[in-house]
Amino acid sequence: MLGAAASWTLPVFLEKTFFALDAMAADALTQIATGKDGTILVVLQMAGGNDGLNMVVPYADDIYYRSRPKLGLPADKVLKLNSYAGLNGKLTGLKALFDEGHLSVVQGVGYPNPNRSHFRSTEIWQTASDADRNESEGWLGRYFDNCCAGADPTVGVAIGEEMPQAFAAKTPTGITFSEPEQFRWRPSEKIEGRMSAEESFFRQLNGSAGDEEALLAASEGGSIAAIPGKSKTDLSTIDFLQRTALDAQLSSDKILAIARKYESNVPYPQGRLAASLSMIARMIAGGLPTRVYYVSQGGFDTHAGQVNAHARLMGELNDALSAFATDLKQQGNFDRVLLITFSEFGRRLVENANGGTDHGAAAPMFIVGGAVKPGLFGKYPSLSDLDYGDLKFNTDFRSVYGTVLDKWLRAPSQVVLGRKFPALPII
Amino acid sequence: MFTPLSPQQWNYETAAHLLNRAGFGGTPAEIEAAYGKGLEATVHDLVDASDDFANVPPPAWAHPRKIGKIRMEMRSKKISPKERKERKREFHDMEGENILDLRRWWLERMLTSPAPLVEKMTLFWHGHFATSVQKVRDGYWMWLQNDTLRRNALGNFTTLTKEMSRDPAMMIYLDLQKSQEEHPNENWARELMELFTVGIGNYTEQDIRESARAFTGYRVNLRTQQFRFAPFQHDASSKTFMDRSGPLDGDDIIDTLMKKPTCAQFIGRKIWRYFVEDDPSPETVDAVASRLRAHDYEIRPVLREILSSADFYSDRVIRSQIKSPVQFLVQTAKLLETPLPSPSIAQNSMRQMGQILFAPPSVKGWDGGRAWINTSTLLFRYNFSNYLINGDEMLSAPDPVKEKGPDLGFRRGLALGADMRRDPIDVSKLIPAELRKKPQELVAHLGNRFFQAKAAAKEADAFVHYLEARNPDTGDETMRGLLHLMMSTPQFQLT
Repeated sequence: MLGAAASWTLPVFLEKTFFALDAMAADALTQIATGKDGTILVVLQMAGGNDGLNMVVPYADDIYYRSRPKLGLPADKVLKLNSYAGLNGKLTGLKALFDEGHLSVVQGVGYPNPNRSHFRSTEIWQTASDADRNESEGWLGRYFDNCCAGADPTVGVAIGEEMPQAFAAKTPTGITFSEPEQFRWRPSEKIEGRMSAEESFFRQLNGSAGDEEALLAASEGGSIAAIPGKSKTDLSTIDFLQRTALDAQLSSDKILAIARKYESNVPYPQGRLAASLSMIARMIAGGLPTRVYYVSQGGFDTHAGQVNAHARLMGELNDALSAFATDLKQQGNFDRVLLITFSEFGRRLVENANGGTDHGAAAPMFIVGGAVKPGLFGKYPSLSDLDYGDLKFNTDFRSVYGTVLDKWLRAPSQVVLGRKFPALPII
Repeated sequence: MFTPLSPQQWNYETAAHLLNRAGFGGTPAEIEAAYGKGLEATVHDLVDASDDFANVPPPAWAHPRKIGKIRMEMRSKKISPKERKERKREFHDMEGENILDLRRWWLERMLTSPAPLVEKMTLFWHGHFATSVQKVRDGYWMWLQNDTLRRNALGNFTTLTKEMSRDPAMMIYLDLQKSQEEHPNENWARELMELFTVGIGNYTEQDIRESARAFTGYRVNLRTQQFRFAPFQHDASSKTFMDRSGPLDGDDIIDTLMKKPTCAQFIGRKIWRYFVEDDPSPETVDAVASRLRAHDYEIRPVLREILSSADFYSDRVIRSQIKSPVQFLVQTAKLLETPLPSPSIAQNSMRQMGQILFAPPSVKGWDGGRAWINTSTLLFRYNFSNYLINGDEMLSAPDPVKEKGPDLGFRRGLALGADMRRDPIDVSKLIPAELRKKPQELVAHLGNRFFQAKAAAKEADAFVHYLEARNPDTGDETMRGLLHLMMSTPQFQLT
């Protein structure tokens, strides 16, 4: 059976594409800094509207305790960062990172005319648009479009079942998967241990005939595809499809190979977030040429019974992030990785009648990594000067994005975000 | 422009192209029938089809339900917190079930309607006047809007735009029903110009402010769930909008916009892109725009001209369009002569392919074209084909995630359970027994079905070699493997 398949060598398309793309590579403006030496951004979405007030607690403010008789966290349980604010008691690992100089906290982050709909506010954070504008492309998608044309398809990796809007781009780039075993073509017939005829012809039809080992070997130096090329926009529609099919094939093989090869010695806790971060750590260890990873933690919409729910979420976040940091340190990659957290909004200062909190506005962001400038940035928003009961922002979230783009990804933030936002001294 | 296609060029391939683009494709038998009828008769069937067909009746729940009252009762302090919680859960479950059913209903219509162009055009308008249930939160309003889009699908664009300004789902989506005389909300006014009529750059901020005033007083009656006009909320004073002044109302604004050449160009370009090609030349856009103006924005005659034109059937157009996820789903069911997957599987697959009906990602609708395809969505299409052909053994279920609130189709890891059950397709419907042992002929035969043309030499060779590698096994599994292989190609993504 395999005899017939083996007689098929390099597919015609691949051959053609190599030549066609090689000729076009000269004017590619691609950032080649991927692989072992590039900087890596990890974006962690806290979906549902995280209660920033109980994550970074204004323990020295009476208004906080008066507004939250049930939910206020006692000052002696708070991990103090300064004389006014401290971390939620569950965030012991993050406090340790803060103390060793690997965590910065940006306070009072938001945007003008805050929207309190999950859907709309998430969209605003994902597209980095003004509140009264609708954008289709995500901020990371615009980064891919402008700075990563022709890059390896794994330049952006989202762990999850669907691509985050932040990745939406004119030329779709980046891959999304929840399990490496799912991110692959599945033949009609299951044959253990060897490739079926169907699979070998599938590979041929989709432009890849190599085995996993050979692909991995070919990619050790950096980019998988090793196919130079410029933006997919210059390809005809069928060539674009064939190129994407080839990308899918190659990145699927590579991700599976890395997932099977690299294991971590660091124990990760249970849960989806920890599993996702562990997967990312393995991809980093395996040298996947990714510049942006995206991961999310859900469940922050705590309208009722917040005490236990939020504590559990904070514990999950803390334990997963601590393991991730330890893992990266052990790999020697902690200095190359920057992780930022965000949520579509914070929550109202005053607790509601159901022991929960309703949709709010400004909230803090965490920046974690070996290269961060530690400390507290921005101002803690006033608890007395409120906007319809919500904290007022003093730092636009696009200042964080802009700083990350300029200083960390070395990408022109003005092009990606449409204008220049004040930089922050966080990196 | 718009020279009719010469009768000599009417053949199986051009007939297939018409059915693909003006509808959701056809089986070889349907394509043969269209070919036999001729171009003019087939275009007539599509364009003039009566939309008076009740083959898929409206969902039983699609009627006003006094949603305001239900919501008020749900929050009533007269009932115990436990009961409130229970009612809220029931209401959320109902919302989720309704919207799931609405998606099933529309997909069924697309698959079985004798007027597929009406459905295709309804889908066009859904992407144009994009409105999402995520904000509207009510299946009835989404159905009502869909019904309005369908009634006007091939009708008059001016009329449809005016109806949209009075459509409860749209009014909620773009905050028009909240707009007050004192504080006119500009959301609808801005999108009306930017996305629905003249396009960005063809109006001023002043135009937005003035027209927002003209649309004040539009309200949704929560008891009847219909539009109502509240004269006391309407700003009847004088406005200056573009080249007009006076106590303009909303319809005056729309009439003014329709007179702008940029409006006909904007909508003409979009129609051309939807039916013909991604990047029309400026001359083509002008030509469509002038036909639209000549027909006073009547869509039916313009579509008749486009679908009969030689340009529509040119070599660079045929099989050059990437199927939208909805097209992929419906056309695949047609080609495999198999029922649609269960509603929750269909919904889940649309989400993973990037097009959830009744939930466009933003008021801009779906970008379409190449934006449909990335490595993940392409692999999903390939693997989903496997499920459609081989049944549920091929689908691995993600862990269900229990979350609060209604599931409007965005939930990760749906608990699909029994809904996933699906039998392998009946191969004998597609493959005559005598061809099983004749690889070349079999591949040509199936090529006509799946690609509506002979497969390119490279692909055809691979399919034939696959059959040879499986020789002497010509059983159903091998045949299904071949079908899956044919669908797991870049070529199958085109229509």
